[in-house]
Amino acid sequence: MDSYSIKTLDELKEFLFRAMQLEHATIPPYLTALYSIKPGVNQDATQVLRVIVVEEMLHLTIAANILNAIGGKLDLVRPDFVASYPAALPDGETDFKVGIQAFGREALAAFLKIERPARRPEHLIGKGLIYRKTPPGITALGSHPRHEDFHFYSIGEFYSTIEEGIKYLEAEAHGAGTTIFTGDRSRQITSEYYYSGGGELFPVTDLKSALEAIELIIEQGEGDGGGIYDDDDHELAHYYRFEELVKGRYYQKGDQPGHPTGPHLQVDWEGAYPIKENLKVADIFEGSELREAAIAFNTRYGEFLQLLTRAYNGQPSLLLEAVPMMFEFRNMILELIRNPLPKHPGKNGSPTYEIPGGIKQPAVTRQAEVNA
Amino acid sequence: MTSRFEPFLGLSAELTAFSHFDLLGTGLAESYLATLDKVVGGEITDALLAAFTALPPPESEARIQAVRTTILGHELLGDVARALIKLWYSGTWFELSSAWTERFGPRPANITFVVSPDAYVEGLLWKAIGAHPAGAKGQGFGSWAFPPKIPAFSPALDFQNLT
Repeated sequence: MDSYSIKTLDELKEFLFRAMQLEHATIPPYLTALYSIKPGVNQDATQVLRVIVVEEMLHLTIAANILNAIGGKLDLVRPDFVASYPAALPDGETDFKVGIQAFGREALAAFLKIERPARRPEHLIGKGLIYRKTPPGITALGSHPRHEDFHFYSIGEFYSTIEEGIKYLEAEAHGAGTTIFTGDRSRQITSEYYYSGGGELFPVTDLKSALEAIELIIEQGEGDGGGIYDDDDHELAHYYRFEELVKGRYYQKGDQPGHPTGPHLQVDWEGAYPIKENLKVADIFEGSELREAAIAFNTRYGEFLQLLTRAYNGQPSLLLEAVPMMFEFRNMILELIRNPLPKHPGKNGSPTYEIPGGIKQPAVTRQAEVNA
Repeated sequence: MTSRFEPFLGLSAELTAFSHFDLLGTGLAESYLATLDKVVGGEITDALLAAFTALPPPESEARIQAVRTTILGHELLGDVARALIKLWYSGTWFELSSAWTERFGPRPANITFVVSPDAYVEGLLWKAIGAHPAGAKGQGFGSWAFPPKIPAFSPALDFQNLT
């Protein structure tokens, strides 16, 4: 067994927390790029980003189901849950930074790296974790709880470690006549509470369903074993959807990775608002309406994470309340992105995703916000 | 952005009671300035912007009076200013009255039209009433189970005095 294998249930729980953190971390970059697209252009790109961001939300919820299944406690308001951008993600032997930026070639290059199907080359097989070259102070996603200075070769490897951990711990528990799947079933989020959210959501209650859940996350992202489609051969993996935009051409059945031969598609690389990359509230002129709006968005996003935390901790019906909240984000983000950034000529505003820590109030109900 | 853009934004904020941020957030400010130029021409647009620039200082009683007399009550500019308010709220340019065209001459582009698909979607009226435009900007599954969110307006703005 490798030194970085998961050996205890607590460690598995921490890994799954980090899986949720990782899945969530892709949402702000995708969402911002999506809403940075100007009206009337880039319809293909809009569609691709929309589908992918919704699937990432599904992955977040799937990871929550797995964590709940093994009796873990979910906390999306833990101060380290939301990444500080730019954050580092593993990508082969180096890692790279994912940030908040407008739709464009650079953003797509980063998105391709996020979803890249990465298998170790021969000479690295069995070599353990990769030493992290990222400077300290940058959120390192997908890292090992016991080895913060190292990262996995890829996100796929990170999930494989979780998969192996689940198998190992369940076998161990089984030997002792018990199971690790002791979680309260009523905490499982199923499609009943999750409207049209990027795929099927099934309860995780045992080894089989847990492994299926992880497979779904991996396949939607990187594709099935490097293939462009998932195992049912009907859905293109995220990596190849992004690649279609870069190559200006759709994939069709029978295509080889890297060589789409379907219909051409149009991408307007200038068709996005020029938002300032990885903007922070502190960079926004004090006293400006834009700054107030950026803070208001962060506060609302914090309330959203709090609502999700309650939903995942036994009140799944609260997810219905989260839906209109997400649509509210769209309007708030669009306004931020269309406003010029004071004292930064040629640059526009952006959501900053700096979530205020330690919000103790429960998410306010919409009733309380009405100004009659 | 031109030197006309700032006064246009200021004028629009004063006329609509929405903030600069809200107006820029629609993404339509530039296209509405262009709409004014197209429909009534650069000269009348400039006269309107000049009337705005010449107003007494903000938040004074004299300013509110002046908005009435030199803009809304002005023979030439009043109808144009009201059409601009309607444009911001609905995304539609409403044809100026026949009385106006008889007095100041017809303008070929002065017909009722929706400026663009986004203009309809971003109409301030939707924000003002806490609803979404029919067929666009949906509020998501189940949203009708919750009361509408009506934005709070700045208490500094006194609608009574403008009407």
